[in-house]
Amino acid sequence: MSTTSIIKTKDLNKSFHDPVEFQALKNINVQINQGEFVSIVGSSGSGKSTLLYVLSTLDTDYTGHIYFDGDDLSLKTKNELAEIRNEKIGFVFQFHYLLPEFTVLENVCLPANKLAKFSEEEIKERAYKKLDLLGLRDQALKKANKLSGGQQQRVAIARALINDPKIIFGDEPTGNLDSKNSQNVFEIFKELKEQFNQSIVVVTHDMNFANKTDRIITLSDGEVV
Amino acid sequence: MNKNPLFKIALTHLFSKKRQTIVAMLGVTFGIAIFIFQAGLMSGFQDFFIQETVNTTANIRIYNEAEKNRASILDKMNPDPHHWNAVQNQKPKDEKTKIKNGYQIISVLEKDPRVAGVSPFLGSQAIFKVGISQIAGRVSGVDIIKENILFDVAKNMRQGDITKLETIPNGIILGDGLADLLGAKLNDNISVVSPLGVNLDMKIVGINHSGLTDVDKSRAYINIRNAQKLLQVDGEYVTDINIKLKDFERSEELAKLYHTKFGFRTIDWKEANASVFSVFKIQNMVTYLIIVSILVVSGFGIFNILMMIIYEKMPDIAILKAIGYKDRDIKIIFLTESLVIGICGGLLGLLVGFLMQKIVGGIRMDIKGFVSMEYLHFNSTPAFYLFAFVFGLITTAVAGYLPARKAAKVDAIDIIRSK
Repeated sequence: MSTTSIIKTKDLNKSFHDPVEFQALKNINVQINQGEFVSIVGSSGSGKSTLLYVLSTLDTDYTGHIYFDGDDLSLKTKNELAEIRNEKIGFVFQFHYLLPEFTVLENVCLPANKLAKFSEEEIKERAYKKLDLLGLRDQALKKANKLSGGQQQRVAIARALINDPKIIFGDEPTGNLDSKNSQNVFEIFKELKEQFNQSIVVVTHDMNFANKTDRIITLSDGEVV
Repeated sequence: MNKNPLFKIALTHLFSKKRQTIVAMLGVTFGIAIFIFQAGLMSGFQDFFIQETVNTTANIRIYNEAEKNRASILDKMNPDPHHWNAVQNQKPKDEKTKIKNGYQIISVLEKDPRVAGVSPFLGSQAIFKVGISQIAGRVSGVDIIKENILFDVAKNMRQGDITKLETIPNGIILGDGLADLLGAKLNDNISVVSPLGVNLDMKIVGINHSGLTDVDKSRAYINIRNAQKLLQVDGEYVTDINIKLKDFERSEELAKLYHTKFGFRTIDWKEANASVFSVFKIQNMVTYLIIVSILVVSGFGIFNILMMIIYEKMPDIAILKAIGYKDRDIKIIFLTESLVIGICGGLLGLLVGFLMQKIVGGIRMDIKGFVSMEYLHFNSTPAFYLFAFVFGLITTAVAGYLPARKAAKVDAIDIIRSK
């Protein structure tokens, strides 16, 4: 397994100013390597989700440096960050965020449509491959809101994978799922890591889940412990 | 699947709020239909009126005017401003409003290549009498053949024949309103009394309908020789010379030229009807104000529905942003929504406006007022349709822009965090 870093932070700090001054992240220096499956844990309010949003370029209000795939993110414009998210990052949130009126296939294709690197046919083909991987091929033409919670979360994972991202960020991806579906999602992540050397960072409060990952980053009051 | 998901997302949003979308669309439809109907009606009426006035007002009229407020002889003798002259009860000089050498001027004008026709005119007030009914009106002493070239009198004849004014020595053509008031019919005899007390017995040889109600109620055509008899003046006496130009748009310019050339006062048809044109201006202003306010209101409708959609679809916006859609893409989605409403509503509005014109234009109105017309006249020039549509689109775009900008500014983390 190679040890190239995908993400590296240097003296990362973040404060909220509203309603009161509050330092959410304090001098974070972490590194995520290619092919690593890392979980971030900590009590609620410890800043674990905040760290994830900052690392994943969604939150740009920080000081310090984040090096993503060699680029310093603090130098990027909003649009450039959107391009990075589109091409190199996959997201799985606690809530699936599928467009309810769109079919499963259309939902999975959304990031690829934006990237527009492939033809329409190729995008479709790739989407079917990802759905195969998650055992959802037969659901492809159903509307997203007709699926069960576990299925919807798996569609969200397929959507995260469509552009073959460098890294997948999960924000409590199993938070809304029962233990069986949680286990299922974990197995998928593990398989992605083992088969495709996929880097994955997951924020979770489920220690059961975290203990099975390669590495655990524990946050307490905005600091890595 | 749609290659451009933005358009599909926009349509999905609209379909998820069918009823409100339709209401917003109908707002635009209504605005544009009213625009076309109203603008067509106004401009159609005005065009009709202008056409009628151009037909009944000479392009250029040459006339003489009695000098008012003339300087007294005393003032002329002692122009020194340090003197103080007082002349009271000075009356206008008994000078005639005759155009000197009228017929020579006419023959000069007839040779002018820009002129289509020239007609001498001698007008007077008169009282028309049939038995005991007496109506005050005006007689127009004309050379009916020449007058016909200028004003197409023959076209407006309800009964009788204009040439009889030439062939029958004491013929008279009455306006239809005037004939009604007098209770006189074709071939009846009537008396015409001039302000000088001259009484002529005349025979009605025609009934005329110009379309301008006031004119039809008061005017009668007689031969200019009879008018000269009524006023007890010589056979060279004319008070006005009416000119029809080949290009009536040049009236103003040529009126000035003839004024310097002949020395008499000249007035072109626009100046003669200036009061009417100023009424039109106000009319147009009010019309367009109403139209604009209707469209603004429909703009609010669009604004409203887009804001509703945005609040409902916050999660969609958040995830699109998270997976790499830019602010611009989000803006495009919502602008597309407003433009879809605008275009669909607008096209429907064009159709409804067109149908309204056709339906109302087909109803017989028989309006008798300022002008009389049987049907409403609509100006259905494509320019109105184009202008209405473009204006509708601008309103929609403006109404859509603010919500679109708001949607683009949505912070994805705020939404994701709160779920």
